[in-house]
Amino acid sequence: MKLMVSVKRVVDYNVRIQVKPDGSGVVTDGVKMSMNPFDEIAMEEALRIKEAGNAEEIIAVTIGEQKAQEQLRTALAMGADRAIHVEVDEDIQPLTAARVLKALADKEQPGMVLLGKQAIDDDQGQTGQMLAALWDRPQATFASKVDLDGQKAKVTREVDAGLETIEVDLPAVVTTDLRLNEPRYVKLPDIMKAKKKPIDTTSLADLGVEAAPGLKVTNTAPPPERQGGKKVESVDELVSELKNRGLI
Amino acid sequence: MSNTSGASKLPFDLTPSEEQQMMRESMQRFAAAELLPAARDADAESKIPDGLLDAAHELGITLLAVPEQYGGAGTERSPIANSLIAEDLGQGDMALALAILSPLGVLNTILDQGSEAQREHYLPRFADEKFLPAATAVMESTALFDPSNLQTTAKADGDGWVLNGEKRMVPLSSHRPLLLVLAKVEGEDSPAAFIVEGDNPGVNFEAEPLMGLRGMEPGQVTLKDCRVEGSARLGGDDGFDARRFLNLSKLGLGATACGVAAGLLEHAIEYTNERVAFGEPISHRQSVAFMVANIGIELEGMRLMVQRAASRAEQGLDFEREATLAARFCGDHGMEIGTNAVQLLGGHGFTQEYLEEMCYRHLRAVGILEGCFSI
Repeated sequence: MKLMVSVKRVVDYNVRIQVKPDGSGVVTDGVKMSMNPFDEIAMEEALRIKEAGNAEEIIAVTIGEQKAQEQLRTALAMGADRAIHVEVDEDIQPLTAARVLKALADKEQPGMVLLGKQAIDDDQGQTGQMLAALWDRPQATFASKVDLDGQKAKVTREVDAGLETIEVDLPAVVTTDLRLNEPRYVKLPDIMKAKKKPIDTTSLADLGVEAAPGLKVTNTAPPPERQGGKKVESVDELVSELKNRGLI
Repeated sequence: MSNTSGASKLPFDLTPSEEQQMMRESMQRFAAAELLPAARDADAESKIPDGLLDAAHELGITLLAVPEQYGGAGTERSPIANSLIAEDLGQGDMALALAILSPLGVLNTILDQGSEAQREHYLPRFADEKFLPAATAVMESTALFDPSNLQTTAKADGDGWVLNGEKRMVPLSSHRPLLLVLAKVEGEDSPAAFIVEGDNPGVNFEAEPLMGLRGMEPGQVTLKDCRVEGSARLGGDDGFDARRFLNLSKLGLGATACGVAAGLLEHAIEYTNERVAFGEPISHRQSVAFMVANIGIELEGMRLMVQRAASRAEQGLDFEREATLAARFCGDHGMEIGTNAVQLLGGHGFTQEYLEEMCYRHLRAVGILEGCFSI
């Protein structure tokens, strides 16, 4: 079985985000970029499935600018066998990403597509679900445990009420949650080996995919600065302060 | 470490290559997640946490340094890549970083100056699945370290050698590491180096409490009529270039010190922006802001000097002057950064609630230690 893992290049989670003065987005020039942490968890899960003897090949996919190949190299250094770079200069929407992954799934015929439940840049959390619909295959989202059993997968999901375990027929789409696993450290010799692994570059046109129109970011703004708290001496003072402010 | 020179063809460019950048990220991550949280306890107990050395070994630091023909995965040694790795691990904790990198110093020296037979004999052991404790035994009980006048002696004895003497501040001492011992051979001006197995009955290890770097499990090594084979003399008849070895060690120590300083700078910025006094963050005071800025400037100087020397070493050029200046600069300014970082935190800096006091004690070693980790 082949596994396909999609990885997105995002601003590193340690970076303090700054909004561009014109509100057109966030500053990415000179900012550290990394693989979306949820995608890293998806990659790690794929590696564990392969190491357990349940898959033969892992294909890492990214959709984005030329530099997104850095994240593919990281995926290859983690242990992916080969990579596909769908080169796109503009920001893409979840539906476009889902269409691209559907086209690649048709071509590669993976037994499972794994991806993060959301990317930490725009937090849309839609691509996996849209892919499952377009591909007409089952989906197991927010996975915190994945067990393979022949042509089925048992997936434990983190839902509001607790944990839910579902069974899906393969091929299926699995989106990964934070507690599924802890991604490995990339080993230094594997970084050198990753240099020799192939990255195929393709485009939306090559895949016959049309970019989805629809969403347009009209403004990006930082959250309002929080005002400092105020200490009061007694409960009475607290009540009267809240009343004065019209909060109770 | 393999040759992964910078992106540019210019002789001195600090832009890391894509591979170097990936290595750094992996090391930084490991340091932040595994070394930093363990540093305080390691210092208090003078003990490396269980499993840490094996976990670090899995990163493949030594495996990559061992060439393929000896069972490793590496190509060419790269002092630049090694110094970057040392800085990143040092930012987690200098003592634990030196413990982790200690075998690399021995490995690199065997690779650099060992005979072919010695490489074939020893290098595959560093490429093994398990961490191989190994350390250089250089310093002695004398007040000043003088490589040309070592108290540890090696006397020819039949087809072997007999070593006698005391070595100080040897990392990984409780692990009975494989040793690279510097000793004086009568009639020779330059010191010789001998590879001594940790379980040699003539070797005794004893923990040695130090001001800082306790987390590397430093120890005193006593060599008493310690007999080794003739083949244990590093470099065989070609001899051993002690100056080259010591210069590369200075850079290793300097690079880890850069990591400590980088961690202190990061925390100084965070702390002085958050700590409010007289109604505003203390970073708004010039006396504070200048001190933070100076840490940044001095750190950059340390880094540049280490990297310049490492770059020359990597290109096969003479680097003794550069390494000596870098070591002096890192020793002096490392200390200054340490004491200023403590000062910026005021009373907090003097408590064990923060890492500053420990980092200060670590950095105090930079101008004193010799031969800890040869890049």
